[in-house]
Amino acid sequence: MRQGTWDLTPVRRIWGHATAVLHGVRGWGWIDLTILAALGGSVYALSLLFSDWRAAPSAAVEIDLDDYAALFRYTLMSLARGALAYAISLLFTLGYGYWAAKDDAAERILVPLLDILQSIPVLSFLPGVVLALVAAWPTSNAGLELACVLMIFTGQVWNMTFSYYHALRSVPNDLREAAQAFRFTAWQQWKWLELPYATPGLIWNSMMSVAGGWFFLMVTESFQLGDRDFRLPGLGAYMSVAVEAGRLDAMALAVGAMVLMIVLLDQLLWRPLVVWSQKFRVESQPEAYVPGSWFLDYWRRSRIVRGLRPWLRRLPSWHQRRTGTAIRLSAPTRWSRLASRLGLTSLGLVLVWLASGLVVLLLRVPLLVWGQTLIAAILTLVRVLVATLASTLWTLPLGLAIGRSPRLAGVLQPAVQILASFPAPMLFPLVIAVLRSTGVPLGWGSIALMMLGAQWYILFNVIAGAASVPGDLVEAADSYRIWGWQRFRVLYFPALFPYLVTGWVTAAGGAWNASIVSEYVTFRGEIWQTAGLGAQISEATYRADYPCLAASTLVMASMVVVFNRMVWRRLYRWAETRFASTR
Amino acid sequence: MSTLATKTALCEARGIRHAYALPQGQKLVVLDGVDLAVYPEEVVALLGPSGCGKSTLLRILAGLIEPTQGEVRYHGKPLAGLNPGMAMVFQSFALYPWMTVAENVRIVLEAAGLPTAAIAERAERAIARVGLSGFEEAYPRELSGGMKQRVGLARALATDPELLFLDEPFSQVDALTAESLRAELMDLWASKTQHPVSILLVSHDIREVVYMADRIVILSSRPARVRAVRDNPLPRPRDPRSASFVQLMEDVHELITGHEMPDIPAAEHPGILPIEALPDAEVSAIVGLLEYLDARGGREDIFRIAQDTQCEFGHMISIVEAAELLELVDTPRRLVVLEPIGERFVRAGPEERKTIWRQQLLQLRLFRIVHEALMRQPDHTLERDFVLETLVLHLPQENYEKQFETLVRWARYGNLFAYDESSNTLSLQRIASP
Repeated sequence: MRQGTWDLTPVRRIWGHATAVLHGVRGWGWIDLTILAALGGSVYALSLLFSDWRAAPSAAVEIDLDDYAALFRYTLMSLARGALAYAISLLFTLGYGYWAAKDDAAERILVPLLDILQSIPVLSFLPGVVLALVAAWPTSNAGLELACVLMIFTGQVWNMTFSYYHALRSVPNDLREAAQAFRFTAWQQWKWLELPYATPGLIWNSMMSVAGGWFFLMVTESFQLGDRDFRLPGLGAYMSVAVEAGRLDAMALAVGAMVLMIVLLDQLLWRPLVVWSQKFRVESQPEAYVPGSWFLDYWRRSRIVRGLRPWLRRLPSWHQRRTGTAIRLSAPTRWSRLASRLGLTSLGLVLVWLASGLVVLLLRVPLLVWGQTLIAAILTLVRVLVATLASTLWTLPLGLAIGRSPRLAGVLQPAVQILASFPAPMLFPLVIAVLRSTGVPLGWGSIALMMLGAQWYILFNVIAGAASVPGDLVEAADSYRIWGWQRFRVLYFPALFPYLVTGWVTAAGGAWNASIVSEYVTFRGEIWQTAGLGAQISEATYRADYPCLAASTLVMASMVVVFNRMVWRRLYRWAETRFASTR
Repeated sequence: MSTLATKTALCEARGIRHAYALPQGQKLVVLDGVDLAVYPEEVVALLGPSGCGKSTLLRILAGLIEPTQGEVRYHGKPLAGLNPGMAMVFQSFALYPWMTVAENVRIVLEAAGLPTAAIAERAERAIARVGLSGFEEAYPRELSGGMKQRVGLARALATDPELLFLDEPFSQVDALTAESLRAELMDLWASKTQHPVSILLVSHDIREVVYMADRIVILSSRPARVRAVRDNPLPRPRDPRSASFVQLMEDVHELITGHEMPDIPAAEHPGILPIEALPDAEVSAIVGLLEYLDARGGREDIFRIAQDTQCEFGHMISIVEAAELLELVDTPRRLVVLEPIGERFVRAGPEERKTIWRQQLLQLRLFRIVHEALMRQPDHTLERDFVLETLVLHLPQENYEKQFETLVRWARYGNLFAYDESSNTLSLQRIASP
């Protein structure tokens, strides 16, 4: 037997070398390929976009519905526009939010201003932005491209800014005090304390915001302004052309491309970022419900990332040399005070200039139109409320059922979130076709269209609320045999209510926005509309009737702001004091 | 200490008065006419009940808060902005949760403008000094309270401060760990080769203060004034079980209670009748105290009570004050003695207890005023604001919202008034006739 034993040492040695080499190869997993592909794709997408920027000005680009390769290009271009708009949103947020949080005088103007800006529908910015920018770049397409990016920006930015501002205002006092006691400069306070503290909220809101930016993609890439047609190469424009032509196959393709883009963004970008941002949670905050991210796990194993990490680590010490000695933050310096005053004055001048322009426009609105606008506003308000209520009726039981089962919630919560980020107007043609064939008038049908986008926010929040009902309260209800309606009344409703209010606020905001595209629709080349404020804004834009547009925008913005303050905020406060879960 | 008088103070506060603005425009004075100096090579402790303003005083000396009145000097020069020689350790640790132990220490050195090489070296040394080597890459959430405070200490020591400010440093650390941290910290300080030169400690724990301090400054509450200063000549290292240590603890107890529980009622002002401020005490705690006393034959030493019930001493004083205010107990010197009415209360059933409680409440002017006002109203209800105004008028030094809260809690126990939180109204509880 002894003769039969082989000396395995050389084999082992070879095996060892082989695995070492193989390991080196395996270290370059497909994750690295994905990262390289994503980098390459971004460069390609941006180059597509910039080549269109430099192209000769052509208002309406021809879109060939049968060119599937072009659809791929269009999707990349829309994505690049969204990314560019997001970059601007982020810069705006960091600047505006910081200013509002740090300068008490500016805060009193900046925060209400943000509230108003948030309530202005994207379409109302359209004529001003497009005409100004197209005029500024008469020899290239850059003006129109930039206008499109800016409109996506207005659909993204506001809630990011609010989130960042609130985070800066609510930095825990002891962390702030430690920063002061150890003499952090303003810049150090920002990068070590304020930005990390704001990061989870900022990332969550970025995800919601980018989704919100797609909502009007069909409009922002392809619109009419008076007698002029504007169209840019992009996914939204492709869909618009498909709808106009009544081409079902092309519509399905565009919807598919959009779904793919959203799912990929969610899985490869937002989900990993949200999971990663939990690192910045302060322990006293309640733990948010965050599923894991498979992509983040792979990302951390990636060779490129591991290779780059030491470089990233070195980054902070590189800029430190330039910041040099400390500037005291506790007492505002003369320079910062001067800058604040200058900033406020110029902002004030711009606001006065805009307001005077608005007044001149509004003076041209006849009294009859004002009356019409008010009636339209009430009609739309009723539709928004009905849409919110109807959404609640079906999402409440379903969301409760999903949220009470951890397994279901784990699977469906991300799915609902993807549904919420899909731009509902891309599904409108389908619903409109059903409405036409069943003979439902648009006055009612528009409610269904509003719900299509808004209801997911309520469902999402109800699931989150149901998942966070305290376990001991459920056990207590079980042990005292509290079932059915009584259980809903004493346990679930109080626990869900604060979440429900959050859902309502978001859903109603979405419904107001959607009114613009759901009260005034094009179907097979013909216009179908019903009386309402949204229809009035759409019509005024297409007819280039700027006084009417200004008047209806003003009414809508004030409706939204007043309703927020009078109803939602009070309801919120009531929910907080009455149903607070602190015991 | 004659030697101290000849040295110049490292840091000195003179005539400090500090008031916070309350939401309704009133001012809450937390410090009034406080003088304090920290000399080289000493540990000074500020001792006082919770919320008496000692942390505010610490922050004023640190330059984090500017006092309403008075002056802070550092090495004899008036202080503008932060105290340059100070590093602070916080009660809540105040570590940045998104940074590792090492990063938490490094950033304060970076903020101090040190070159990169020195930062790494000094951070490492500070972490080793507090016994945290090996934990450099851990995140604060992975550490226990004691370990977190070690990071807090390392962070402060890394900056090589002349003055180390400790704000209730071990109150959120479990008792055993706190014990060893105190000993280690005193060892660090005793090795005179390195900074800190002096330590200023804020605490409500008499044992901790006697263990650590050379000089104990006892503050009274509402508003805080320096009530007494006691030198601590015990040799180091100190043994908490030694007779002299226990004796000094008792002396300090005496100093506190002598001021906090006056046996002679304050002289009444002619004109406005005084209203008694309600001590911040839960009804259940007062009842618990009475039960405890009854089980001990009706009398017990207050320190013994605090020790037995594991109640923080400052809080125990509030509870005893409350019981005394209601004439349920008496406090001859350090003893707490059950009064006959208190004894009747303890032995009574739930209904009779409420009746006695109600009677005792109505002995207090504040409850009588509110009760009479309720009787006068045709619908027997009162707005919260009315009561708040009464409180502000008569007790300008008190936190009136806290007072109101206590008033409602005490009244609810006695079925005296009901309070509806949603409408902010007090109403007269209908007392069921027997």
